[in-house]
Amino acid sequence: MYQYSEQDHQLLLERVAQFRGQVERRVKGELSEEEFKHQRLRNGLYLQLHAYMLRVAIPYGLLSSDQMRTLAHIARKYDKGYGHFSTRQNIQYNWPKLEDVPDILDDLAKVEMHAIQTSGNCIRNTTSDPLAGVARDEIEDPRPYCELIRQWSTFHPEFNFLPRKFKIAVSGATQDRAAVAVHDIGLRLVRNDTGETGFEVHVGGGLGRTPMIGKVIRPFLPKQHMLTYLEAILRVYNMLGRRDNIYKARIKILVHETGEDNFREMVEAEWEKIKKGGLHLRDEDFEWIKKFFLDPEYEELSDRDGEFENLLLTNAEFARWVDKNIELHKQPGYRIVYLSLKTAHQPPGDVTADQMDAIADLADKYSLGQIRSTHRQNLVLSDVRLKDLPALWGELKALDLATPNYNHVTDIISCPGLDYCALATARSIPISQAITQRFDDYDFVNDLGDVSINISGCINACGHHHVANIGILGVNKKGVEVYQMTLGGSAREDAAIGKIIGPAFEADEIVDAVSDVLSVYLENREDPEETFLMTYRRLGDAPFKERLYG
Amino acid sequence: MALQVYTASLLKEGLVAYLCLENGRPSWTFDISQATAGHDEELDALKLAAERSEQDNIVVAPYAIEVLETDSGIMATTKREQIRASGPTITLPQDKIRESRRAA
Repeated sequence: MYQYSEQDHQLLLERVAQFRGQVERRVKGELSEEEFKHQRLRNGLYLQLHAYMLRVAIPYGLLSSDQMRTLAHIARKYDKGYGHFSTRQNIQYNWPKLEDVPDILDDLAKVEMHAIQTSGNCIRNTTSDPLAGVARDEIEDPRPYCELIRQWSTFHPEFNFLPRKFKIAVSGATQDRAAVAVHDIGLRLVRNDTGETGFEVHVGGGLGRTPMIGKVIRPFLPKQHMLTYLEAILRVYNMLGRRDNIYKARIKILVHETGEDNFREMVEAEWEKIKKGGLHLRDEDFEWIKKFFLDPEYEELSDRDGEFENLLLTNAEFARWVDKNIELHKQPGYRIVYLSLKTAHQPPGDVTADQMDAIADLADKYSLGQIRSTHRQNLVLSDVRLKDLPALWGELKALDLATPNYNHVTDIISCPGLDYCALATARSIPISQAITQRFDDYDFVNDLGDVSINISGCINACGHHHVANIGILGVNKKGVEVYQMTLGGSAREDAAIGKIIGPAFEADEIVDAVSDVLSVYLENREDPEETFLMTYRRLGDAPFKERLYG
Repeated sequence: MALQVYTASLLKEGLVAYLCLENGRPSWTFDISQATAGHDEELDALKLAAERSEQDNIVVAPYAIEVLETDSGIMATTKREQIRASGPTITLPQDKIRESRRAA
């Protein structure tokens, strides 16, 4: 992974010292809340429903074991003993005290982490495929490009006061595990006819109150132009994006209102002016950055193991976990392991300090000392030897991190909702827990196959409900929390915005409604290979509506 | 006008607090049932005291919320304010671990 230079370290230390001074001045009353608010938000510090909330950046979801231990230390020393992994692969602390935050940032800086640009109208943490560098379907490792984007966008003077926040995702595989189509800019590494790799450039995707799928404004961008092209897009947005109406300020609105072709023309015209400038990437730039992301020295291993295969045959629980939470690795004899943060009794994405420490130890013991966070709010150990899976499974089980549900019905994305969030209008975590409790039968979950449920506690859609196969949006209707259902969304390469199925359900009805929708699917699928989304797309919403409201 | 209390976030801790006003002297409590509730003109005094606390950098962004007087004390009327008053409605992760340890 990327290692900070002396300059990077210095930059962070100066930033922490600057924020420490701002906090001191705020507490003394030398800064008003209005003046301070912009400074704290620039450092990832929100004031939420119950307390301050600090959002810490995890660049493209990649963490070392030492960084994870520091996150555990912060949770234990300054918070209430846990943290929350978000859909942008970051971690949030829900209870820090204002005066402790500079110390937290100091501790983070020691392990090359920070909270810069995790809030505010700037370019946020670049997200990516959690299987980057190890996936079998990868065209090219996206992490070097993510790191180049991180360095370009951090403190970029021109883009520090954009019309609105700006999110970039990069994927390097044929399967989209980074939801690139619902980002302000999504970059997909693709190969052209001559075998050269470059980027398919998606612009104007996003969720919130106006969900949109990004438009491909360039099907193939040579890699050396990545930063010049991003700069051109951001310049057009910065010049023309609306600043008069917060609800119309995202780039998706600009692309929509300008028209895809006009927007593309403006970007291309801007790009012509700067494409040969200082941001043009040279071969030596790629060589330098790729050195930080070289493959580890994998052992030459067989892709079979006696003990593993024996346990697979004799232990059904182990077999279920392998079936659901293990993916093939590009290197024979290795596997990718999903650590499920989805149980019926812990909010989706929440991890205790003890669990974090234990995960860091497991990463050192079994996975070359690295951990990844996913946009579905789980964690990944990316380089586990096949022969270590039985032992790792035992340790994960003891930590309650081995629920066999990855990409299945109980692997629910949920925003913090009204239990934590000042913007929320309804609770989302209790609904996710109720659904998880209802569908706790493994055979049923297994039979349902690949199906996603996402829950948001307000129209801002932090729980990505628009792009779930079954989306749930909590709203407040005359003082009562009610839940609207959407069907048919997808965040993958076949990205789609779900369609509202009908009137909202009350809190005590929504789990039954989900159950009804799943029953319609099971009754109507042509065979077990037909997923929920395939059945929905084949039949439309009529049979689901009929069951729910008929 | 409905019965109201003043609430805000404490500047240093960020935690939810409610205004008590006794003999014109303001203080802030975490317990909504200890808050000073008022109607009409009483609210003017509460508002003034809350704003003074904000100027003195004790609290951030004070505002009035509607409450009801019940047998068990003052209670917020909206779900949002009820959750602010009593904390998340879910078991916090660390609490869960402590609970399971106790059960074991």
